[in-house]
Amino acid sequence: MAKILSKRQSGQFVVPGNRLGVIEEFTPGQGTYVERGEIYAEITGHTLLDMQNKTVSVYPLVRVVRVPKVGSIVTGQVSKLQNKTAIIRIFKIGEEQLSGVFSGLLYISDVSASYVDSIYDACKPGDIIRAKVISEKNRIYHLSTADKGLGVLYAFCSHCGHMLKQKRYKIFCPECGRFEKRRVAVDFKETVS
Amino acid sequence: MPKSEERMIDKDGVRIDGRKYNELRQTKIEVGILSNADGSAYIEQGKNKILSAVYGPHEVHPKHLALPNRSRLRCRYHMAPFSVEERKSPAPSRREQELSKVIREALEPSIFLEYYPRTSIDLFIEILQANGGTRCAGITVASLALADAGIPMRDLTTACAAGKVEGQLVLDLTDNEDKKGEADVPVAYMPNLDAITLLQMDGQLTLEEFEKTINLSLEGCKQLYELQKEALKVKYVAVKEEVEE
Repeated sequence: MAKILSKRQSGQFVVPGNRLGVIEEFTPGQGTYVERGEIYAEITGHTLLDMQNKTVSVYPLVRVVRVPKVGSIVTGQVSKLQNKTAIIRIFKIGEEQLSGVFSGLLYISDVSASYVDSIYDACKPGDIIRAKVISEKNRIYHLSTADKGLGVLYAFCSHCGHMLKQKRYKIFCPECGRFEKRRVAVDFKETVS
Repeated sequence: MPKSEERMIDKDGVRIDGRKYNELRQTKIEVGILSNADGSAYIEQGKNKILSAVYGPHEVHPKHLALPNRSRLRCRYHMAPFSVEERKSPAPSRREQELSKVIREALEPSIFLEYYPRTSIDLFIEILQANGGTRCAGITVASLALADAGIPMRDLTTACAAGKVEGQLVLDLTDNEDKKGEADVPVAYMPNLDAITLLQMDGQLTLEEFEKTINLSLEGCKQLYELQKEALKVKYVAVKEEVEE
């Protein structure tokens, strides 16, 4: 470890547990942790020394672990609708695909800024929806689609299962001609791209 | 199989497989060899062949197992039916259940579980071929799989056993030495933090011998740590160079 101290340069390969310095000389940044006044790497990567701001961080070479947090934009599939809530299986955080799924809960009052009559007017099982995590209370991710850019991205006809298309402010099924109600996102997609 | 009157260690201190008392078995480690897991690693230590895979952190099922303040580490140590000479039933045995627990407890202190509350990290250790010291090799390889999955850790964990065979203290016992020998002491160790996370003993040793055995194991752990670092470097530095080209 003495080697790392003497060389003092960015781009060194480190594994978890490698010593990077002491807190008197650097502010610990991403990918580091502090124990007994010394800074260590907590992930595998390259060191980044910022001599101007006196910070040290580790640029990850490995996968970055992602879990939903308050404020993150997530994408998921509506798995079921209950009285006033929709259960959503989150499979994407931001643009990053998750390896598993997390479940989130969308309550009717968080669907839109205006009044929504029924949760069935907002989404239906199978729809792909983009939402924002607004709270982690009671060990559940509470979601909201009230903001701009949030809402249903892909929707399917509740009668025949065909993918729905948008016409002005309404969405309809090109197969059976039904009109349906959704809380659609501004970038509602009519085909899988 | 040597006959019972055959010596495990000859008069020059050379063991049956040609090693000295403080020598590890020939070890080969590879990181990131399974594409479907979030992290994986493979180790060959002598005749031991062990595969390890990590999934997560992800949602816990069943949900009541979720911990409010930290991630739950779930560990499965499993021996394949073909891993030993006589077919082993694939159902988890008492021994495997205990080793799963022991390995979990050896790795838990190295992981920042508190970063991911209400999630679980699933760890699988599959013994493809066993020849003594699989719990230690399992810990060594599992730690690398966790590092490969990008899970924040305080340190890599590395493990190695030492023991007493025919009155002599030796490092990294094989199955045969373990069975014929007098004692076996597996130790798991975090080299940078200088902390022992697993210490077991099977057999009998005097206090002095015990201390010497632990020190011998730690020497082995330090050697394995270098191999672990090298394995991660081979995977990640090589991959990066390919991208740059």
